[in-house]
Amino acid sequence: MAQAALTIDGLGVDFEGFKAVNQVSMIVDEGELRVLLGANGAGKTTLMDLISGKTKSTEGRVFLHDTDITNWEEHKIARAGLGRKFQIPSVFKELTVRRNLEVASCKKPAVFANLRFGFGADARKNVDEVLELIGLTDEADHIAAYLSHGQTQWLELGLLLTQNPKIILLDEPTAGMTQAETHKTSVIVNNLRGRHTIIVVEHDMAFVREIAERITVLHLGQVLAEGSVEQIENNPKVREAYLGSKGIS
Amino acid sequence: MVSKRRIEWAVYAAFVILMMAAPLLLDSFWVNRIAKYLVYGMLGIAVALSWGYAGVLNLGQGLFFGAGAYMLAMSLKLASQTSLQQGSDKPVPDFMLWNAEPGAPTELCCINKASFLWLPFQSQWFGAAMGLIVPVAIATVMGTIVFRKRISGVFVSIITLALVLLVRLVVIDAQPVTNGFNGLTDLGWFKVLDLEFDPYILPTYYLVAVSLSLVLFGTRLLVDTRAGIILQAIRDDQNRARYLGFDVPAYQTFFLAVSAAIAGFAGMLYVVVSEFASPTFMDLTFSITMVVWAAVGGRSSILGACIGAIIINMISAKVSETEGFAEAWKAVIGLIFVLVVLYLPRGLAGLAHDFVDRLVTRRPKSADRVLRVSDPSSQLAE
Repeated sequence: MAQAALTIDGLGVDFEGFKAVNQVSMIVDEGELRVLLGANGAGKTTLMDLISGKTKSTEGRVFLHDTDITNWEEHKIARAGLGRKFQIPSVFKELTVRRNLEVASCKKPAVFANLRFGFGADARKNVDEVLELIGLTDEADHIAAYLSHGQTQWLELGLLLTQNPKIILLDEPTAGMTQAETHKTSVIVNNLRGRHTIIVVEHDMAFVREIAERITVLHLGQVLAEGSVEQIENNPKVREAYLGSKGIS
Repeated sequence: MVSKRRIEWAVYAAFVILMMAAPLLLDSFWVNRIAKYLVYGMLGIAVALSWGYAGVLNLGQGLFFGAGAYMLAMSLKLASQTSLQQGSDKPVPDFMLWNAEPGAPTELCCINKASFLWLPFQSQWFGAAMGLIVPVAIATVMGTIVFRKRISGVFVSIITLALVLLVRLVVIDAQPVTNGFNGLTDLGWFKVLDLEFDPYILPTYYLVAVSLSLVLFGTRLLVDTRAGIILQAIRDDQNRARYLGFDVPAYQTFFLAVSAAIAGFAGMLYVVVSEFASPTFMDLTFSITMVVWAAVGGRSSILGACIGAIIINMISAKVSETEGFAEAWKAVIGLIFVLVVLYLPRGLAGLAHDFVDRLVTRRPKSADRVLRVSDPSSQLAE
C-alpha cells in the first residue's frame, strides 16, 4: 500500500453559520490522481482554499505527509511541497514565458538570497524540459500576456511543474478550453501521473474519463461518495444528487 | 535579444557621458540648475522602482525625500555661521534663539523641550547617515504593516498620500525644532576632508552627477537580479507568486525601502545643491509631480523616468521664463502630461523601446531579402 501524501481529517469552515465545507475527511496516496467532483456550490474550490491556506479552517487538520500544515500561510504551504493552479489562469503577464518559469524554478524564497544574477544552469535545463512538456518551446521568448487562453493555462501548469511540488492541486484546468486543448491538457496531466500526487477539480466529464482513476464526490460541503469511475457512475446517491438519473455522460 | 540589451547599456552610457560633459558647455548658474534637475532625475528613479517595478504607486515619495533633506539640513544648519554667531562657541540654530523663552539656557541640550534631538547632528556624518536610515526605517515599518495586511493598489496610494501630509503637518507644527514652514535656511556647506561643497562649484555638480550614475546603474542592475525579477512577477500576480512560495510582503517591503533610500539620498543632495530644506518638499503637489515625471519618461524604465524628470524640469524652466507663458506654463506641463498618458502610455522610454525593436527586427528581414535576391541569380547562372 502506498504512503499517504495528503491526509485531510474532519476539515471544515464556518462562514458565519454557513458551513461551506463540513467534516470532510479523505486520504490521497502518494502518486495518486484524484478527481474531485461536485455540483456548483458543493465546496470543491473552498476545499482547495482550505488545503492551500487561502482560507483558514475552523475545524479539522490537514497533513502533508507527516507535517501538519493546517492554517499555515500560503507561501509556507507552497514551500512545504504543495502547488496549486487556479481556476482563472494566473501567470506573470508582463514577463516572457521563460522568465515565468525561471521565477518558478527559484529554489530560495528569501529576498537577500536572491540578490544575484541568473537562475543557474540547473534551472535552465529544468525550464527547457518543462517548455517541451507544455509545448511552449517556440513561445519561450514571448510576453505571457500575448498567449492564447489555452497556452496560458499550460504555462501555469508549467509553473507548477518547474517548481516540482509533491502535491499539485488543479482547479478546473480545462475551463474555457476547446476540445483539442482539453485533450492536450489531459495528455500533460497523464504525463504527470505517478511523479506527482494530483488532485483535480473538474466539471468536464470527457476530461474526467480521460484521466480519472479515483473520484471523490462532494455534495453540500460533505463527502458523498468515493470510488472508481464505474462505482461513482453506478452509485444511486451520486445519481440523485449530482448526475441526475442519466449517469456520467 | 542580446543586441537589444547592448543598445540599452549603450544608451545608459551615453546618458552618463552627456551628464559628465554638460558643465563644459554651461556657466555656473546653469551648472547649479542642472545639478538640481539631476537630483529630480534620481527621484524619478525612485518612483520608477516602486511604481513601475513593484507596482506600488507611492503618492508620498516626498516623505522620504523630505526626511533625507531635513536630516542632512539639521547637520548643515549647525555647521552654518548663523548658528555660531550667538556668543557661544557651541552651535545653536538661530531660530531657536529667536523663539527661546526668556531665561532659557542658550545651549542645544535644553534651549527648548525638544532641542536635545539636535545634539547628535553636530556631526555631519550623523546627519548624512540618518538621511538614509530614517527614510528606510519609515518605509520598512509602513511596508511591513501595509503589505502584511495585504493592502494593495489604490489603497496603498491613499495611505502614502495621507502619511506625507501628516508628517508635513507635524513638521510645520513642531516649530521650535523644525522652524515650521520657514524650513531650514542659511545652511553651511557639506564638507569632505578639506573640500567644501559650495553649490556653485564644479565638484558639487560632479558629486550629484556621480551619485546619480551610481544610483542609475545600481538600480538597473538591481531589477535584473533574481529578486528584481521575482518582484516584477509579484507586480503581475501577487497571488500566483505567493502560491509559488514567495513571501510577497518581504519583497514589496524590501524594494519600497530601497526606493525610500534613493529618495532620501536625493533629498540630501538637494540640500547640498540648494542650501535649504522646507516642508514644501512634503507638499502633495511635489509628490504627484514626481509621478508625472516618471509617467512621461516611462515608469517601467529606470533611465526613462530619470530622463523624464530632467526633461520636464528643463522644459518648465524654459517655458516659465518665456514671457508669453509666464502665467500659463503649468498648463503647458499639464498638457504634455495628458498627451503622453493618452498617446504614449509607456512614456518616452516606451517610444525608444519600439524604435529599437524595429531596428533589431529589421536586420534579419533585410538579410532574408538578400537571400531571396541571390536565389534567381544563382538560377540564371545555371
